[in-house]
Amino acid sequence: MRFWIVVLRHTCRNMLHTWKSQGMTLFTVSLSVLIFSFFYLVYVNALHVGERLGDDLRLVVYLDEEPAPPLQEEYRHKILKFDQVDRIEFIGREQAYKRFERILGENSDVLTGVPTDFLPASIEVYPVRTLDSLSRIKRFSDYLQTLPGVLKVQYGKEWIERFYAFIQLMRVIILLSGSLLIMTTTFMVAHTIRLTLFARQQELELLRLVGATDNYIRMPFLLEGALQGGIGACCGLGALLLLYNWITLQFAGPAAIPLPAFAFFQWPVIAAIIGLATLLCVAGSFSAIRRFLHF
Amino acid sequence: MIDLIKVSKAYPPDVQAIADVSLTVTRGEIVFLTGMSGAGKTTLLRLISRMEKPTKGMVDVAGMDVIKLPQSSIHLLRRKVGMAYQDFKLLPERTVADNIAIAMEVVYRPRSFIEKRTRELLEQLDLTRKYNTRAGELSRGEQQRVSIARAVANGPEIVLADEPTGNLDAETTARVMALFEQLHRKGATLIIATHDRSLFEDTPHRVIELRFGRVLSRSEAGKDDGPAPFEAPPALFEETGA
Repeated sequence: MRFWIVVLRHTCRNMLHTWKSQGMTLFTVSLSVLIFSFFYLVYVNALHVGERLGDDLRLVVYLDEEPAPPLQEEYRHKILKFDQVDRIEFIGREQAYKRFERILGENSDVLTGVPTDFLPASIEVYPVRTLDSLSRIKRFSDYLQTLPGVLKVQYGKEWIERFYAFIQLMRVIILLSGSLLIMTTTFMVAHTIRLTLFARQQELELLRLVGATDNYIRMPFLLEGALQGGIGACCGLGALLLLYNWITLQFAGPAAIPLPAFAFFQWPVIAAIIGLATLLCVAGSFSAIRRFLHF
Repeated sequence: MIDLIKVSKAYPPDVQAIADVSLTVTRGEIVFLTGMSGAGKTTLLRLISRMEKPTKGMVDVAGMDVIKLPQSSIHLLRRKVGMAYQDFKLLPERTVADNIAIAMEVVYRPRSFIEKRTRELLEQLDLTRKYNTRAGELSRGEQQRVSIARAVANGPEIVLADEPTGNLDAETTARVMALFEQLHRKGATLIIATHDRSLFEDTPHRVIELRFGRVLSRSEAGKDDGPAPFEAPPALFEETGA
C-alpha cells in the first residue's frame, strides 16, 4: 500500500512538472481515439445495415429447361461446391407463374390466355449473410453463369457492389486510423515520458544511489503512461458520444431523414477501446524507460 | 564487512585509478582513508558502493559479491551503504527536508518517522532553520552537511564519507565527527576519505594512506607507520587483513 502511495505521489509530481507536454499528449491521444472510434462506429453500424439488407439478398438463376430431380441434385451439388449457402430453392415454370399471378393480385386477369409455362424455371440461391459472402457475390454469380442450362443470373448488383466498396473503404480507414492511434499514443507518450525523464535525470540517479528498486523508479512512469492512455481514451470516447448525440438529435423528428438504427458502442467495446489505448500508452512509456534507464 | 582483494580500476585510455589494492574492514570499524587528490580515495569508495565496477579483483560488501551483483539487486547493497558524496548530489530545486527524506522514502518509512528523523539530523548538524530552504540556496558547507544527513538517515550498516568536512569550519567539523562517532557506537562501519589530517591525527582508528592508486602506508589503531616516502611509482604496502 505504501508503495502505491509513493508511486502515486511521484506520478502526480511528474505530471505537474511537465503539465504542458502532458496536456499536448492527452489532447493527441484523445483526438486519435476519437478519429479511430468514429470510423469504427460507422463501420460497425454499416455492418448491421448490411446484415439487414442481406435479408433480401438472393441470386436468381434462370434455366432454359425445368430440371428433373437428378439434375436438381446435380445443380445443388455444384452450387455448394463453390460456396456455403443459406438455402437453395428450385422454382418450376408453374410455380413461377402462380407467384407472378399472386404478385399481380387484382390485375392478374392480364394473364388470361397466357400459357402457364411461359416463365422460365429458376433456382433461387440465398447466400449466407456474411460480409465475406457479400464480397464473393460477383464471383458467385459469374460461377453460376457457367453452369450448364443457365440463361441468366440476377441479383441486386448495384447496391451490393457499392455497399461492399463502402465497407472496404471503411476497413482501410479503420486500419489507417488504428495505425494513427498506435503511433500517436506510443510515440507521443514515449516522447512525454522522455521529457519527464530528462527533467528528473538527477533525481533518478540519486534514487538509485540511495537504494530505490527498479520498480520504485519505473512504476510512476508506467502509471503516467496508463493515466495518459486511460484519460485520453475517455475524453476521446466522451467527445464521440457528444457527436453521436448531436447527430441523432439532428436526424430526430417526423420530418427528418430516417436513419437506420444507428447505435453507440456497447460497454464491452468501450472498455476494450479504453483498455487498448491504456495498454498502448503503457507500452510507449515502457519503451522510453527501457531506453533511458537501461532496465 | 568489506573485503577488497587485489582490486584494480583503470579508466581509458590508460589512467590507473586503483592498482592491486587489498583491504579488509571489519564490522563496526572506523577507517580513515587519506592521500593526495587523485590518489584513488573516491574511486575506492565508488567501488565499494558499486558506482563503479573494478577492472579486476574482488569486492565483497556485507556478504555480497559486488561485482557479480545483478542490476536488479543493487538496491540491496545501497540500502546497507550510506554515502556522503564529495559533490553532494543534492537536488537543488527541492528543500533540505526533501533531500534528506528521499533516502527514507525509498525504503517506505512512514511520513511521521521521516519528519522526526529529518528534524533530528538537522538539529545535530545545526541546520534546523534550513528545513524548508531549497538545497540550491545553501552554502557549500551547508550542502555538505545535508549530504551527510541523507547518508546516515536510514542508519546504514556502512557509511562511506567522501571528504565530509572539506567545506566545514572547526565547530561544524566537530558536529559531523560527533555524528559519525554516534553511528559508530551503534555498530556502523565507517570509511572516511579525507585529506584533513586534523581528523585522524590523534585517532585511535585505522588510517590508510593511498598514493597513485596503491595502499602506501597504514597505521593500526593507535599506531602510526609515519609518513611514507614519496616515490613514483610508490612502494606497495598491501593491506591484507584487519
